[in-house]
Amino acid sequence: MGTPRVSVGGAEPGAERLLNKTLFDKVWESHVVEELPGGNALLYIDRIIAIEITTPQPAAEIAERFGDRLFDPAAIVAINDHVSPAKDTETAVQANALRQWAKRHGVAFYDVGNNGICHVVTPERGYVEPGITLICGDSHTCTHGAFGAFAQGVGSSVQGGAMLAGCIIQQKPKVIRINVSGYLQKGATAKDLALTVIATLGFKGGTGCVLEYHGEAIRALSMEERMTLCNMAIEAGASTGMIEPDETTIEYLRGREAQPKGDAFEKKAAYWRTLRADLDARYERTVEIDASAIRTVVSWGTNPGESVPIDGRVPLDADPDSLAYMGLQAGTPMREIAVDQAFIGSCTNARISDLRAAAAIFKGRKVAVPTIVTPGSQAVKRQAEREGLHDVFQDAGALWTHSSCGPCLGMSMGIVAPGMRVISSTNRNFRNRMGQGGRVHLATPVVVAASAILGRIATPDELPPLQTREAAVRGAA
Amino acid sequence: MIVAGGVVVLDHANIDTDQMFPGKYLTLISRQGFGKYLFEGAPQFLKQLEAHRDAKILVAGENIGCGSSREHAVWALADWGFRAVIAPSFARIFHENCYTNGVVPVLIEDRAAFEQCRSAKQLEIDVDEQVVRKDGTDIARFDLDPLRKEFILHGGFYDYLATKIDAVKEWAAKRTSTVG
Repeated sequence: MGTPRVSVGGAEPGAERLLNKTLFDKVWESHVVEELPGGNALLYIDRIIAIEITTPQPAAEIAERFGDRLFDPAAIVAINDHVSPAKDTETAVQANALRQWAKRHGVAFYDVGNNGICHVVTPERGYVEPGITLICGDSHTCTHGAFGAFAQGVGSSVQGGAMLAGCIIQQKPKVIRINVSGYLQKGATAKDLALTVIATLGFKGGTGCVLEYHGEAIRALSMEERMTLCNMAIEAGASTGMIEPDETTIEYLRGREAQPKGDAFEKKAAYWRTLRADLDARYERTVEIDASAIRTVVSWGTNPGESVPIDGRVPLDADPDSLAYMGLQAGTPMREIAVDQAFIGSCTNARISDLRAAAAIFKGRKVAVPTIVTPGSQAVKRQAEREGLHDVFQDAGALWTHSSCGPCLGMSMGIVAPGMRVISSTNRNFRNRMGQGGRVHLATPVVVAASAILGRIATPDELPPLQTREAAVRGAA
Repeated sequence: MIVAGGVVVLDHANIDTDQMFPGKYLTLISRQGFGKYLFEGAPQFLKQLEAHRDAKILVAGENIGCGSSREHAVWALADWGFRAVIAPSFARIFHENCYTNGVVPVLIEDRAAFEQCRSAKQLEIDVDEQVVRKDGTDIARFDLDPLRKEFILHGGFYDYLATKIDAVKEWAAKRTSTVG
């Protein structure tokens, strides 16, 4: 008798599988080409996202040493995203290197006017889907695990190896199950959940592991919220985050540019529905998180693990180096920290739902500090403008830009000066990240908006109520 | 292969790749000459590096290389002259980037052994034997992935994968594709 066996559809129809697999196991096992020495596997890669800052070097290596032959150009999506349009000669040369390479190989390519941040563009165009393996020379590639893909950031050489040979060499990561029970309460968002997971695991607590998110709180998240959650898995050191595909996933993908239509799509969707962790799946360990207990979180220090609930204070046992860099005293209430700039953008929190949430706070109010709103993609930008959100931001006194990675990693459009403190919807508060000597507090888009209005770290419930027109007229009379 | 030379100790945990290689230089499309940007934004680290200009071995705290996947950080370390990094833990992508670029990632979890490395001025790393020596005495053993160890000893990361192309093509042809 022993362990029950069933036939599971998918990559190998009819294959017999033990009933104790994680979601990750299923995706991994369906991509192992061969076992290699040292517990490594040769892992087939379905999708490569090629961006301008990490692709030119491996592209040159392959051109010089391997006759410029790519394994499968159709597996690649190329995007100029980090600095687009170019800001100077170097970035122009870099963008053009990717442009010419993509053209030469017939690689799908998104350029100025039709691009944005790669982790926003590729899902919205339907290039990411459940059950695939995906890599990109950018650490926030874990974002795509939201679809139930095994998606990870890699160095340029590993990306180049996959461009050349369609595979990577990898030791199978362990899997940590993150059970998120209950539901997020008003004011708590996927970003707060992400920061809570990082604070729970520790900044390196996920190293060598995949975080597999389960529980009713996860099922209740939209695809955009799931992407925000998985986007920050790397900030706990994890290889990626993963979420089981469900009807939310399937409905998100239906009709997207790179997805087939009709029966072909339904056939894929039927496979995606089988991609579930078995009930007795074995995990390295399980971490329980109660979503209903999660409060709005903001970072105080110099890595995303150094975060506290916004009602809290800078910890009394805070790392002195982090405090010195951030110019903070232990014990200071977070809400008393004044900010010099506000930024809403990045692959974490610049999708349309993020912009809608921020706009609801900005509407009818004025910013107290320089504020920049950078949509996650040009498609997000156009949608926001159809909804009039650009007017809301600009009426409030914020700058509304085109899409780019921008100041998140100190490359363009809003880099801060030494000592300046910025409240930011991004993912990394590292030293010097948004500019030499700049101080970054990570927060949700609504906290960034409220803080921009009050000039200090704040939540929307602190804002004075807006006067309605009738009340204003009555007041004047 | 023996990596022998001076040691620089950066006594901090979580030294991220943004600090090693500032984002503003990610605009460069070459891999050459990046040593001059190494730790540019982190003067406290740069001062130590400059005080030991001929050092070949970097010793750092937990979670070295966390954050961004930028291989530029390892290109910068190698261009500066570093041939090995010793740390009690490595961030995953940085760890892999060390291997593919021939920088020996020496993971030493044992506290006493790490402490010995941290207090050394000169060390000798025997890559074949996977041993760290101080003044001719073994002070720590370390693990290396046996496959990636070959890339350190003989290079050839791309060449190895190139030998797999036919096998991967054959495998992919048999597979029922799940990608549209």
